[in-house]
Amino acid sequence: MEIRKVQNFVTQNAIYIVLAVLVIGIAVYEPSFIGLNTLQDILAQSSTRVIIALGVAFILITGGTDLSAGRMVGLTAVISASMLQTEEYGRRFFPDLPQLWMILPIIIAIVVGLIFGMINGIIVSKFKVPPFIATLGTMVAIYGINSLYFDMDPNQSQPIGGLRKDFTDLGSGSIHIGQFSLHYIVIIAIAVCFIVWVMFNKTRLGKNMYAIGGNVQAAKVSGINVNKYLILIYSIAGALYGLAGVLEAARTGGATNNYGNMYELDAIAACVVGGVSTTGGIGTVPGVMAGVLIFTVINYGLTFVGVGPYWQQIIKGAIIVAAVAFDMRKYASKK
Amino acid sequence: MKKVGTALLVAAVLGATMAGCSSGGNKDSGGAGEPKVGVAIYKFDDTFMTGVRNSIEKNASGIAKVDIVDSQNSQPTQNDKIDLFLTKKTNALVINPVDRTAAGVIIDKAKAKDTPVVFLNREPLPEDMKKWDKVYYVGAKAEESGTLSGQIIVDYWKANSSADRNGDGVLQYVMLKGEPGHQDAELRTQYSIQAVEDAGIKVEKVAEDTAMWDRVKGQEKMAAFLAANGDKIEAVFANNDDMALGAIEALKAAGYFTGDKFMPVVGVDATAPALQALEQGTMLGTVLNDAENQGKAAVMLASLLAKGSEINKDSVGFEITDNQYVWIPYQKVTKDNAANFK
Repeated sequence: MEIRKVQNFVTQNAIYIVLAVLVIGIAVYEPSFIGLNTLQDILAQSSTRVIIALGVAFILITGGTDLSAGRMVGLTAVISASMLQTEEYGRRFFPDLPQLWMILPIIIAIVVGLIFGMINGIIVSKFKVPPFIATLGTMVAIYGINSLYFDMDPNQSQPIGGLRKDFTDLGSGSIHIGQFSLHYIVIIAIAVCFIVWVMFNKTRLGKNMYAIGGNVQAAKVSGINVNKYLILIYSIAGALYGLAGVLEAARTGGATNNYGNMYELDAIAACVVGGVSTTGGIGTVPGVMAGVLIFTVINYGLTFVGVGPYWQQIIKGAIIVAAVAFDMRKYASKK
Repeated sequence: MKKVGTALLVAAVLGATMAGCSSGGNKDSGGAGEPKVGVAIYKFDDTFMTGVRNSIEKNASGIAKVDIVDSQNSQPTQNDKIDLFLTKKTNALVINPVDRTAAGVIIDKAKAKDTPVVFLNREPLPEDMKKWDKVYYVGAKAEESGTLSGQIIVDYWKANSSADRNGDGVLQYVMLKGEPGHQDAELRTQYSIQAVEDAGIKVEKVAEDTAMWDRVKGQEKMAAFLAANGDKIEAVFANNDDMALGAIEALKAAGYFTGDKFMPVVGVDATAPALQALEQGTMLGTVLNDAENQGKAAVMLASLLAKGSEINKDSVGFEITDNQYVWIPYQKVTKDNAANFK
């Protein structure tokens, strides 16, 4: 019985164990890795990633997938940055734009994300296009739209810089608690995680999302308006990408049409490693958070100890495959 | 069985991590007394920046302990790496920005930790450079590369009466541009043509398109230009060698470079494949963006800044302009002097 308990514990908590092993492994090699400074870096670097990953998690749990996430991040980064430049900056995107209340461009960017998410949802639910293909299409088209916007006169594809200080402070500022500086983006990310957790666990939307992902026919039969919920879920995901795009622009103090390139794959990988099933119906917010942290620890920690970038890619790849292989066994053995 | 699975997973992760550590660990070169310099390159799979990277590594020996990372062509990734360097208390940074406008935020971060920064190859905006006196820039003047490549075409045009294929006295050319909006791409395009016009030659643009610095795209675009315009084209300007080499492949496929059917093609960078093409007589000329000296100047500056030493021409070995800039000159490379650059 005891052995069985241990086995169960390990099976249920495999991702957290991997995360702990990674941290311990890196710390043994380079003890200075354990510290408040590294912790605040890792949390800050995970913030936008977790917001994107939660958006993708919504869609993966319905049994879909979203390849357009990264390009939506890029589009919304450019849109928010284009409206938040200082008046003194020599090359403004909108030369005559007055200084807006900062929240306005942020809301515009989030709404743009939401609209493109909704378009994904409509294509998937109403036109019955498989999500992989639907979002492949929008991925390509959104990059085109972003590039068109980015190429408008007088910007002509110049990187958007000269962002307002209040905006860049949102991305890189922090609250100091003793020695520890808690970045604003970490607070935003934690708030988003909490809201999404509530959506997943305490709302009808969450229940129906798991039901659709678990068995779409059964969901239909039990009276769930599948199309409505799919459109809603894709829209929420789009809004999350919009928020992430805003934060990426704020964090780096600029934006180009290349922002967000391939982020969807990082997000899908983090979800999958965090136990979200690619066949739908399964996934939790803490799992996604752990998945994102694992990849940030790999990115950050391995660079910290001086592992070459090529090796980092190999390690990331191995972890993705190993995690899914293990996950498949977990669910296979349940059935 | 489940336990075995978990054990395997953990073992795989740990094994991979350790393998990575042991292989990556040796990369730290240099002794304990040397300052630590964090270097972030915009992306590792860029031919020119790989040359600069190799030069940094080579010239660091004895003056700095360098840690070189890949920003994977993503500014957010680069910012993450810079945070990491600052947390590790690196003594100086060498940053090859992904986007030049992001330099402002990078300078703010570095200044807060009093860590000097040397920007490399992509020039920050002047207002950002003014934020702090411990910020330097090492690079080449992009317009100079354009001017020199234009001059190579001028020399050819003046020396060969057959260059004016249709005899109208006007140079019909096509332009293969780098990434739209990239400072080098815009300036090379503009100044190469200006150099031709300044030499008193009339020009007519037959076609212009971006090939994103890429050889394959260079070949595809050139093939399309040839299909559309045929023998009308009298010269090919490319913003870099990779695109010029791609264009040469397309020209070869269209029957050029056999017998006396020749097309003057100029690039920029003087990469190894380009030098080979010069010697084979397919490429007319290229312009050397001096990777060796850019890397050398950057790492020397970073080392001196990290130690708090004085920065002047004698200590760095390169002229300092406006207290913050080191300009590395370009050089014309043709068949005659190609052997010197190998």
